[in-house]
Amino acid sequence: MGRKKRKYAGPKQRYGGSMNKKVSFRTRIGAALSVAALLATGTITSTPAHAADVTLEFAQWWDPELPTGSFRALMDEFEATNPGIKVKLVSGPYSTTKTQIVAGAASKTMSDVVGLDGAWVNDFAKQGALESLSGLMTAASYDQKQLASQIKVDGKTYMIPVVNFVYPLFTNSDLLKKAGVNKIPSTRSEFATAAKKISKINSTTKGWVIPLSLEAPNGIQNDVMSLLWASGGSMLKNGQPDLKNAKVKALNTYIKNLWDAKAITPGAFTLKEQDKVEEFTNGRVGMMIDTLSHVTLIQKNNPKLKFNISPLPSEDGFKGKRGIPYASWGIGVSSNSKNKTEAWKLVSFMMSEKTNSKLSSIARAFPGNTKSVPDFVTSDAISKKAFEIYTQGYPANEFTGLPVAEELMRLYGEQFQKYLSGKISVTKLADNAQAAWLKKF
Amino acid sequence: MLAPAKISKPQNFSTSLIKRKLEPYGFISPTVLLLLLLMVIPVFLVIRYSFMDNVIVNQNPLFVGLENYRTMIADERFIIAVKNTAFFTIVSVIAHLIIGLSFATLLNSELLSKTTRTIYRMIYILPWLFTVAIIAILWRMILNPLGVLNYIIMSLGISQNQTEWLSSESTALLAVTFINIWAGYPFYMISLLAGLQGIPKDLHEAALVDGATGLQKFWNVTLPHLKPLIISMSILDLIWTSQQFALIWMTTGGGPLTSTEMLGTYTYKLAFSQYEFSQASTSAVFLFLISMGLALVYNRTQRAREQ
Amino acid sequence: MTVGSARKRRIHKSGVLIVISLGAIFAGFPVFWMFVNSFKPNSEIFAFPPKIISPNFTLDAYFEIFNNPEKVRFFINSYIVAICVTLLTLLIALQTAYAFSRYRFRGKGLVNMVIITLQSVPPITLMIPYFSLVVTLKLYNTYQGLILTHMVFTLPYAVIMLTGYLNTLPRELDEAVKIDGGSALTALWRILVPISIPGIVSVGIYTFMISWNEFLFALTLTKTQEMRTVPIGIQLLMGQHSYEWNQMMSMSILGSIPVLALFLLFQRYFLGGLTSGAVKA
Repeated sequence: MGRKKRKYAGPKQRYGGSMNKKVSFRTRIGAALSVAALLATGTITSTPAHAADVTLEFAQWWDPELPTGSFRALMDEFEATNPGIKVKLVSGPYSTTKTQIVAGAASKTMSDVVGLDGAWVNDFAKQGALESLSGLMTAASYDQKQLASQIKVDGKTYMIPVVNFVYPLFTNSDLLKKAGVNKIPSTRSEFATAAKKISKINSTTKGWVIPLSLEAPNGIQNDVMSLLWASGGSMLKNGQPDLKNAKVKALNTYIKNLWDAKAITPGAFTLKEQDKVEEFTNGRVGMMIDTLSHVTLIQKNNPKLKFNISPLPSEDGFKGKRGIPYASWGIGVSSNSKNKTEAWKLVSFMMSEKTNSKLSSIARAFPGNTKSVPDFVTSDAISKKAFEIYTQGYPANEFTGLPVAEELMRLYGEQFQKYLSGKISVTKLADNAQAAWLKKF
Repeated sequence: MLAPAKISKPQNFSTSLIKRKLEPYGFISPTVLLLLLLMVIPVFLVIRYSFMDNVIVNQNPLFVGLENYRTMIADERFIIAVKNTAFFTIVSVIAHLIIGLSFATLLNSELLSKTTRTIYRMIYILPWLFTVAIIAILWRMILNPLGVLNYIIMSLGISQNQTEWLSSESTALLAVTFINIWAGYPFYMISLLAGLQGIPKDLHEAALVDGATGLQKFWNVTLPHLKPLIISMSILDLIWTSQQFALIWMTTGGGPLTSTEMLGTYTYKLAFSQYEFSQASTSAVFLFLISMGLALVYNRTQRAREQ
Repeated sequence: MTVGSARKRRIHKSGVLIVISLGAIFAGFPVFWMFVNSFKPNSEIFAFPPKIISPNFTLDAYFEIFNNPEKVRFFINSYIVAICVTLLTLLIALQTAYAFSRYRFRGKGLVNMVIITLQSVPPITLMIPYFSLVVTLKLYNTYQGLILTHMVFTLPYAVIMLTGYLNTLPRELDEAVKIDGGSALTALWRILVPISIPGIVSVGIYTFMISWNEFLFALTLTKTQEMRTVPIGIQLLMGQHSYEWNQMMSMSILGSIPVLALFLLFQRYFLGGLTSGAVKA
């Protein structure tokens, strides 16, 4: 073996006490520098505070979805007419808004004013995260008649819908023509015939697209139950689940019929709303129920696409007013806000006739103020049509204000997927869904 | 020649012995301090939540003992989640290991020039560079029934089906497992590549002299050398994969039906859709206990090494 | 070398090249697809049959990011956080790993267990209590808060991996230093670290990746746009009603370039030869 020959990768070393100090000294310097860097970067984030001004934080997901700068312009207008109040916009991704509000409420860091979805209100009210707007309105002597709707839990208002996105039926005119369908379907049988005929055009074209992903199960609300409401049906009775009634059963059977006839776009079980509109824009699906605000998007992405808006198909022979599904951008005030009076000022600003009209216009939605009229209603043929549908029907969304609304949609969605795959019968679907829902009420 | 060794003076002996004993504690103190300060309290809280009837949304939580655990074990969905998670985790980890090892070895081969190796290595670490949201979106695009994968399959004439990779019960779990394998193998590959650099060439030369073939060299020289690394990585990967939430959530949301329901999605839904935070904490404790088991295994291998 | 073995070598080489190229398709095709889609207008991303190059090839997706100071800020924030996390983690983890690798001490097993199991609690459940703690410590919406949080995730990894690497290095190297009267720190920093550069680099890159791609805590622990990071920037493009597909792709591509550059920079440490002859029996 012989003597150990030691070769080192580094330069020649001499070992001893002095070297020790040098190495640990260097390490210490390095650590100190890092800490200093941390502290320095920390100070970059702190902003000078104005003693007199109240700064309201407004947490929402709307700013990124609107034309750049347009939402901020509205806030600037508010600041101009309300000296002493500044608005700081906090934007987050839509998909995480709910969890962030829950976390913010739990740690008392929730923003003063928050954007809300109707499906969350009941749960947030129970968590104690939201301030009762009824109290704030009375304190400010606010005229509540100008509000188209208020979302209440136990008689107290917790959310006011600022703008409403309605979901009419979109139809691809070219595909309808190619399939030999001469008029836009208005009844369920017309719809079914059209869907099946369109699906026969070729292997990549289908008649209808429904997003049934369980991640964000809004498809159950917008694309399934909406058809129920369009025929005057209801999934509730006296505020309790009523999923076993005849109209619900008829709806389920109807959709299964289309499913088995392969008239629905494949991939439905994990399809999301955002994918649905891509299928339509690319001309691969003949009909879809979708938010009116997508009109501009579709026109921009595929100017050659000819499409129309119409009311949702209802049961054959139904003559009543057709419910049109909607989703709102709602607004609420946090219960741990230190500036509730100022917060209310911002809410009432958002709901004021002028501002509400402006916001509706840029968002392509219908106003939450009864007197507001968005400008696109007169400028655009399609939107004019949509407004007609809106006024001739009634806004219908039975999920708003329900406890754990999103979970209810998901529970139904799971059973619905089982039913569509042929695993359970329509009666079992009703039974299972009803039982699951009752547990949550 | 190096400087002659310093002989420690007798009266410094006891202090230097104490110093020597305290050294390791000094070394581990920053890590332990940080973890204690930031993690122990939240983890303790989560464990405590699992023994309450509900927290966060409930202003007055009551102690309920093991009630939540009983509910959880009786929950059919929990059992499904455990089964899916087990499949997902074990298959992912094994595939990661095999692919990572193969690629690392291939990319270390002396048969290729340094430039070739560098270029290919850059390609091979690509899956690593992206955040989960994008990986989910990207693969949803690719695996779309009318996406590029089916297009290639149809063009090559292999099949004319528009397979619903992520939307059909029979393929969804395999699809997400595949995506996870794709997204995670670079971890193994890079770590093993680094480990391979540490194998002294003389050991390889010695083996050659003894007439060993490539495979024997691999088995008897390379693998044993990499063993500590492989064990560390596998334990970490097992723990991390069993918690995986975001990838599943953004690709399939736990569906279709319950075919890709994992412990991660199960926990998330309990917490943020049903607002059952205590039950979610119970599920978290379950994962925690499993990891503790794995940590014990790891400890044992470390101790065996020292013997 | 004889003719026969030269030929054998060539066959081996071709074999390796074929396998590597197949693997490269597996690894690289999805990223190639992302790259290709970042140059398409949104409307064409879901076209069928899919095209590689769109007739409306556009750099809009990239310009939207460069021209938007808010989005550029996301990148800056991500850099600051990721770099600090990596440097601090490596510094601290190396010392801790050294202790685990070279010493036996009371409580070693326990600390090991704690390090591993603490990170096994699903972040979703941890989020709310952790968030409250961060707020109490006044670390909310700060770089420090984010850096320390990321370190909580990266340290256990780094410690375990570096312990593994250090375990592959023979103890004779340390002993040599100790015999000459050097301290443990000297042994670590002067001897072991230079030899374990490949291991350290790989742990460093992975740490950087974990921090760079981390989403949940970056979202929860930051509030204002000035503090948000790239993963949040990407998800902001996923709106309630529609996604900005091409911008999401371009942002990801831009985000991956620095890491690729880092990797390229440190390639030489992965090309062998550093440890050859370090210890001769």
